[in-house]
Amino acid sequence: MATHAEAAEHHHGPPVANQSSRVDSRVLGMFLFIASEVMLFGAFFTAYFFVRVVAGSPWPEPPFHLPVFVAGVNTAILVTSSFTIHWALQSIKRDNRAGLQAGLVLTLALGIVFLLTQVREYSRVGFNPGDGAFGTIFYGLTGLHGAHVFVGLTLLTFASIRAFRGHFSAAHHHGVEIPGIYWHFVDVMWIVVYVTIYIL
Amino acid sequence: MSHVTGTSVHVETGHGHGPPPRARHWALRAGWVRAAWMTGFFFLLGLGIVVFFRWLGGYDPTLDWEPVIVVAGLTMAPLGFLAGLGGFDYWVSYALGSPTRPEDHSGHGAYTWRDYFRVNTDHKVIGIQYVSSTVFFFLAGGLMAMLVRAELARPETEFFDTQTYNELFSVHASLMIFLFIIPAFAGLANYVLPLMIGAPDMAFPRLNALSFWLLPIAGIMLLASFFFPGVGAGWTNYPPLSTEQPFGNVFFSMAVQWAGASSIMTALNFLVTIITMRAPGMTFWRMPLLVWANFTTSLLVVIATPFIAGSQFFVMFDKVMHTNFFDPGENGYALGYQHIFWFYSHPAVYIMMLPGFGIASEVISTFSRKPIFGYRLMALSLMAILVLGFSVWAHHMFVSGMATYLRVPMMVTTLLIAIPTGIKVFSWLATLWEGRLHFSAPMLWALGFVSMFVIGGLSGVMLGAVPIDIHVSDTYFIVAHIHYVLLGGSLFTIFAGIYYWFPKMTGRMYNERLAKIHFWLTLVSFNATFFPMHLIGVQGMPRRVATYEPQFGDWNLFISLSSFVLGASFMIFVYNVIVSWKSGPPAPANPWRGMTIEWLVSSPPPVFNFDEVPQVVGNPYEYGVKGARHAILNGDRAAAELEPVRST
Repeated sequence: MATHAEAAEHHHGPPVANQSSRVDSRVLGMFLFIASEVMLFGAFFTAYFFVRVVAGSPWPEPPFHLPVFVAGVNTAILVTSSFTIHWALQSIKRDNRAGLQAGLVLTLALGIVFLLTQVREYSRVGFNPGDGAFGTIFYGLTGLHGAHVFVGLTLLTFASIRAFRGHFSAAHHHGVEIPGIYWHFVDVMWIVVYVTIYIL
Repeated sequence: MSHVTGTSVHVETGHGHGPPPRARHWALRAGWVRAAWMTGFFFLLGLGIVVFFRWLGGYDPTLDWEPVIVVAGLTMAPLGFLAGLGGFDYWVSYALGSPTRPEDHSGHGAYTWRDYFRVNTDHKVIGIQYVSSTVFFFLAGGLMAMLVRAELARPETEFFDTQTYNELFSVHASLMIFLFIIPAFAGLANYVLPLMIGAPDMAFPRLNALSFWLLPIAGIMLLASFFFPGVGAGWTNYPPLSTEQPFGNVFFSMAVQWAGASSIMTALNFLVTIITMRAPGMTFWRMPLLVWANFTTSLLVVIATPFIAGSQFFVMFDKVMHTNFFDPGENGYALGYQHIFWFYSHPAVYIMMLPGFGIASEVISTFSRKPIFGYRLMALSLMAILVLGFSVWAHHMFVSGMATYLRVPMMVTTLLIAIPTGIKVFSWLATLWEGRLHFSAPMLWALGFVSMFVIGGLSGVMLGAVPIDIHVSDTYFIVAHIHYVLLGGSLFTIFAGIYYWFPKMTGRMYNERLAKIHFWLTLVSFNATFFPMHLIGVQGMPRRVATYEPQFGDWNLFISLSSFVLGASFMIFVYNVIVSWKSGPPAPANPWRGMTIEWLVSSPPPVFNFDEVPQVVGNPYEYGVKGARHAILNGDRAAAELEPVRST
């Protein structure tokens, strides 16, 4: 609202827009974007469905094995990072800057560890995207998810830079909250990917 | 630290203006110079990335041009172009921790023609950028259609080899769909939708500017594909045909990603704008039908478009990275592509039609001087089409060899869509009933749309029935159907919209006589071109083939000649628009005596649309109802009140 107050003061800006919904426009925008992202994953899961269920590809295709345990530990790492980002957000809501910074740094660190473990897994797993439709779908889904982790980390890096440069407060923390929503989405999506690719 | 926090509160709430912009060297300023060198720089960056990873993974050769073209040419270079033009400037400075600035409107308004060639955050400028560039791609796509018809005038190959012919009709369709119809509707709505709901701008003006500039990138990629042959598998790009095309097929895959990203971002922007920025009193049941139409369309875009993005990623990975999404020899499932593709592309035909329904509703009600018949059912039928649209995709695949038990359910849902569509058609007719009809150009186009769309809809019902579909699959009957709904449907409503809002957008009136000649010439030559295709289609002339049986020769010659007239008719439009924009008579604020809010402001509207947000007091189409008003502008009172504030 202050933006509009300022605009009216100088009378060279647009009029005060009417707020016709209680939902914040930026949060709503992020949720719509996530809806779109869910559908992108949906397209990849549809390909998975056709390859595994309709075409009946063996899973995992012998002689390959999936590192279920290592990926499980990695899952735990990513789930933990959802709690740390939540802690960061709750901290700034109470004006606790140290908590915000610590939460963001921890989240970043956990996310990077997750990605590095993923890269390590790729180099050790013993097959590549060209090894049957099984390899294609494995790399397709985990790679799509990895790209989303990377985007999430990028957003969190921006939030961290701003947190360390003194931005955000109890009243204004959309810059933490919105990347946080995205991060939770990336986390939940991984659980779905882990269950469908590794466990089922 | 606490002091810093204190200032940041101010900064976050936008009281501060931030530091004044530094004067930058001309090569570093956002604009075309920076766009040029950053495009090159990002290309080299992409090249470096590819070479580095190939070296890391020990691939041979280290410098392979195919991944370089995809990564450096079709991904990084466009990003560099956007960054150079200034599309990311704000977000970069935000990311580096500089104070948040509320949109400062320095990028608003267009005062010279140059302002249309930069990143402009004004929804009205963006709307004009959209419409002008889509008309450009429409003419390019139309030119390809002319070349296709020239080739088809005689049964043998005349001008092109068969691969070039395939590329011509593929790029024709892709340009018309992704670079004309979808973004032309987005452009018209970009201009009028915020005005119609009484908003000063879109919810995310910077995102809006960025989504426009993704479009020329996609368009240039499709045009450039003629230098890298391979976009020759139709706009549907089915594997294995597409995966066996020459390498240039990736130009289609990547162009779709850029255009798709553009439509998703615009749709998201529309949805947030409609939900959060309506004027006081503008309940959902008081929104003009154009706003309803764009609301439903945007929902479709956000939900469906990722599926075509996915399908094109798969095709591209199969080509470039030799994955096996669709290779049956490696347990891949080729038919899966068609399911994923049509799960987007069937809703996409509604993405290409619903905004047109909205435009037709505006125009028909205004020029009949009557309230729209069954307003709530008109809105609800849009929602019904949205929901049903997701349940019919496999009717494109009756002959594909898919599971046969899917056929009948898909046929039933397809035929069900005729119900909400029929509601709309009959509502338009009932709106016309006993109205005081004014046959101005927008009305002619809207009426032309209703009649042509009914023909296309009827052949659509025929095609929805499994037995007929099996008979006419991949024949010219399909070509006739698609052109009746997309040319007779979407294109006619786009012209209705352009003529209807031309006075609002440019502040000048177009030449009515030329507009009417344009309409009648288009209507007649359009029917002469596409109606005979039904006949030769039923007789079995296959589509997408450069040669055909001599028995179809006479009809094809007639069709080709008609199509040249059809092509020429658009020259009248181009001439009319250019001349009228330059020197047409000045337009009054409300030339059509419309009731919706965009007609309450001047033509063209002031930079910030309103001095004060209007108050909505009634329904949008109460034509002929004594004393009825849709909205009240109180800008004068507001300006008077602000006077003392301004002097402080």
